[in-house]
Amino acid sequence: MSWATVVAARLRGLLEHKRLNRELDEEVRFHLEMQIEDNLKAGMNPAEARYAAMRSFGALERMKETYRERRACPLVETTAQDLRYGMRTFRKSPGFTMTVVTVLALAIGVNTAMFSVLNAVLFRPLPYRSPENLAMLWTEDPTQKFHEGRSALWDVDQWRSQSQSFADMATFDSVSTTLTGTGGVEQIAGASISPNLLPLLGVQPVLGHTFSTEEAEKGRRLVLISHRFWQARFGGSYDTLGATLVLNGVPCQIIGVLPADFQIARIDADVWEQHTRGRGVRGAETWFVVGRLRPAVTFDQAQAEMSAVARRLNDQLPAAERNRVISVVPLSLYIVGPQSRLALWLLGGTVFCVFLIAAANVTSLSLARSVARTREMAVRAALGASAGRIVRQLLIEGVLLAGVSGVIGTLLSSVGVRLIRAFGPGNLRRLNETSLDLWVLGWALAISLLAGVLVGLLPAVATLRRDPRPAGDQDGRSAPGGVVTSRIRRALVVADFALAIVLLAGAGLLVRSWWYVNSIDPGFRPERVLVMELSAPPTFSIPAQRADLYRRVLEKIRAVPGVENAGIIGDLFISNSREQVITVEQDDGTVSARLQFVGDEASADFFKAIGTPLLRGRFFSTWDGPDAPPVAIINDAMARCSWPRQNPVGRRFKLGLRDSDHPWYTVVGVVGDMRRQGLERDPFPQMFVSLAQSPPPRNVDLFVRTSSDDPMAMAGSLQAAVRHVEKNAPTYGVAPLEQQLGTYLVQRRFQTSLVTGFSIVALLMAAVGIYGLIQYSIATRTQEIGIRMAVGAQAGEIFRMMLGEGVKLSLTGWMLGLLGALWVGQAGSSLLFGVTPTDPLTFIGVSLLLIAVAVAASCLPARRAMKIAPIVALRRD
Amino acid sequence: MNDDRIDKADVLQGTLILLVLRTLEALGPLHGYGIARRIEQISKDVLQLNQGTLYPALLRMEQEGWISSKWGASEKNRRARFYSITAAGRRRLTKETQDWRRMSSTIERFLGFDPRSLAEERG
Repeated sequence: MSWATVVAARLRGLLEHKRLNRELDEEVRFHLEMQIEDNLKAGMNPAEARYAAMRSFGALERMKETYRERRACPLVETTAQDLRYGMRTFRKSPGFTMTVVTVLALAIGVNTAMFSVLNAVLFRPLPYRSPENLAMLWTEDPTQKFHEGRSALWDVDQWRSQSQSFADMATFDSVSTTLTGTGGVEQIAGASISPNLLPLLGVQPVLGHTFSTEEAEKGRRLVLISHRFWQARFGGSYDTLGATLVLNGVPCQIIGVLPADFQIARIDADVWEQHTRGRGVRGAETWFVVGRLRPAVTFDQAQAEMSAVARRLNDQLPAAERNRVISVVPLSLYIVGPQSRLALWLLGGTVFCVFLIAAANVTSLSLARSVARTREMAVRAALGASAGRIVRQLLIEGVLLAGVSGVIGTLLSSVGVRLIRAFGPGNLRRLNETSLDLWVLGWALAISLLAGVLVGLLPAVATLRRDPRPAGDQDGRSAPGGVVTSRIRRALVVADFALAIVLLAGAGLLVRSWWYVNSIDPGFRPERVLVMELSAPPTFSIPAQRADLYRRVLEKIRAVPGVENAGIIGDLFISNSREQVITVEQDDGTVSARLQFVGDEASADFFKAIGTPLLRGRFFSTWDGPDAPPVAIINDAMARCSWPRQNPVGRRFKLGLRDSDHPWYTVVGVVGDMRRQGLERDPFPQMFVSLAQSPPPRNVDLFVRTSSDDPMAMAGSLQAAVRHVEKNAPTYGVAPLEQQLGTYLVQRRFQTSLVTGFSIVALLMAAVGIYGLIQYSIATRTQEIGIRMAVGAQAGEIFRMMLGEGVKLSLTGWMLGLLGALWVGQAGSSLLFGVTPTDPLTFIGVSLLLIAVAVAASCLPARRAMKIAPIVALRRD
Repeated sequence: MNDDRIDKADVLQGTLILLVLRTLEALGPLHGYGIARRIEQISKDVLQLNQGTLYPALLRMEQEGWISSKWGASEKNRRARFYSITAAGRRRLTKETQDWRRMSSTIERFLGFDPRSLAEERG
């Protein structure tokens, strides 16, 4: 109560500052005049009366000071004074101010931008109800190194009924979908979900309603559309509900519009259908499973229960599949995987190091300035400023600088966020959600304050440790640096170099990995090749129809001018592979083995079109028709794996065990290994069968080798050729093969270029730091150098002395930094490719670079020291 | 001499509030000079009031709400600030008076007490 009224009165006092001062003056004057009058009445003469009145009143100014302090909040008032004073000193030294603000604003801007990425991708909760309770469930077989496998619907029913940990489980998958409109058929992104998925996630359509069980019973085809699709195709109209879309040739009714940016796990679709299935059938293992844990159930508990469920279910499976486990993974961990998380933390750490280096440099600069201001501080102390007041002044100057830098930095970071969203790796989930929110602004504020305290505190401490009074005797030109100040500055330069080498070594390792990845032969020649996806219309339900369609499309495309060759494969880039049992005929009978394996249908000219070499045997030919014995082409990895040191051509193998009902394939050719999972994944056994012999898939990849260096220029004429053959077969996803291969490298390129860029900035800053230190050291030691030269020191000795100072510091930083770099290399080793975390070439290279930079940065000022004329140096005092 | 004055001023600081409140209660609204004169008149040479210290004390008491002030005309028709005691100030005065009485009687008893009598009781 009482303190509140006091505070209120004081705040009022603060606001009415001037009027209250006037009133106090008036009151005091009145008091004194009354006293003088009384004294006169008592018989004193005027001078005596006045003197006596003043004496009985006591120290007038001190009283007023006490009065003012008690009236207002002295802290606020004097802080305002300090701020005004700080602004004045900054205006007087624009060079210093500009440098500090520029460096700090850049560092804060970059940090804030990077934090906004971390915030969006890692920290911000997923846009579902209680997202922390959501989990992905996978079917896995650790004995076969089979991870993150999808599941069959029947399995999911069993899991649901046998477990207590989960409130519910839902299934989903993306499905290839064609949309028939007035302009023909086109391919759109579709997904199939179980009806309980949206309630499980806690997502409501923004318009209309979600799937209901009664409607599912009636067998009507219903569909939800994405917000994006709604805006693009229906202009956001409310009449959209009830409209009909012809999907895969079947009319479906739109019942709702999902919220903007809705996606589940990594699936982002325009049309969402519910899936139906026959009862009692186990079904294919093609479904993603998401579950919601009951409240208060931990992931560990759920995992323990599901492991027990998996053991029970294993007993009902064929013997070969009894090693299955169910793995429970938090949804957020699946959406942004450990690799991306590590890369982001690495980048975050990198920019934070840059920030620290920037702050160290600025601190060093303001330390140097504080020495130059020793005289100013001495004058202030002599005028009665307490040590606390001077320290506070310096701290406030630091915070003021950092505050201005923070505001500019935040503005810069909003530009940075836009750049990251535009140029960042598109395959990094949630990156497009990056924005400046309150958390990001809070972070900007926090690091600005940190910078302010760092920048202000050390000079303040150094000022305290230095007795300012003797400096008052000097003219301030050659103020002695002060042992504390120069020790701190040396330590800062060492820290600069230590951080710089950590960053440089990290960047070096990433650059080496990048070179290595890029030097890898993908096993095909992607130059001048255009890729497009092609869907057969739903009416082509008989395999022979599709085989005929693909053959005619290839013929037509080869006739287009500028086309050198063309081929078709089911799916070039492998997104999901798993172990299969293969039975192989060898010299001494058949052998069954389980291995990671993928089979695809390919056209006869596929390998020629894409440029994969034939190692043995022959390609497919026209004799390999539907009635001829089944043949296969295998890759080198399969040849090495199944027929080590033997010629596989002419030998037979089949899928499954020896008595399975799959056909025997005769190997007719062996082709080179293709890296079909991006350059960083090793090739594994693969087989290719002829499009003519096995039922070709509905969706295939079409490869066209052109004679043009810009294959995209031919996209139009090639698509027209396909339409000419079959107008209901949509082509989509047209891109140069090089670009498709490049998407696997986008994230690596992003992290490598950022870390490299930042480490160069760090190196430059470290160089500037050491340059400034030596320069300053020479400036304060001009007199000493003059004396040395006067008594016979050679210019070379002076040069070596100054150079030695710089090199010694950088070597100390280098040693400390190496330890840090080794640790960082170990922590981030999973991001490396083809190099070890202790790669000697990288470490030697960056060390030489760093030392060269340190020597160069020390040389420039040291050369100036050499040219000091002794007489000038001595005359200075 | 100098140390002596500081000691007296210290004593005064603690009791100044009591004196001011009592003065205002007894005499009604007064300006600062009037309060100072009144305190000096009553205490004569015992309490040497450093008049200047009165004003910060008045400010604090006003902030606490024990007194209120307003500008008015003095006896010689000059503008002056008049202070008067508030209800809260009266309560405070009662409490301060009690505290002071209890304190001074305790000290009085202590000073009038002969330690030897305690020793005899024990012996």
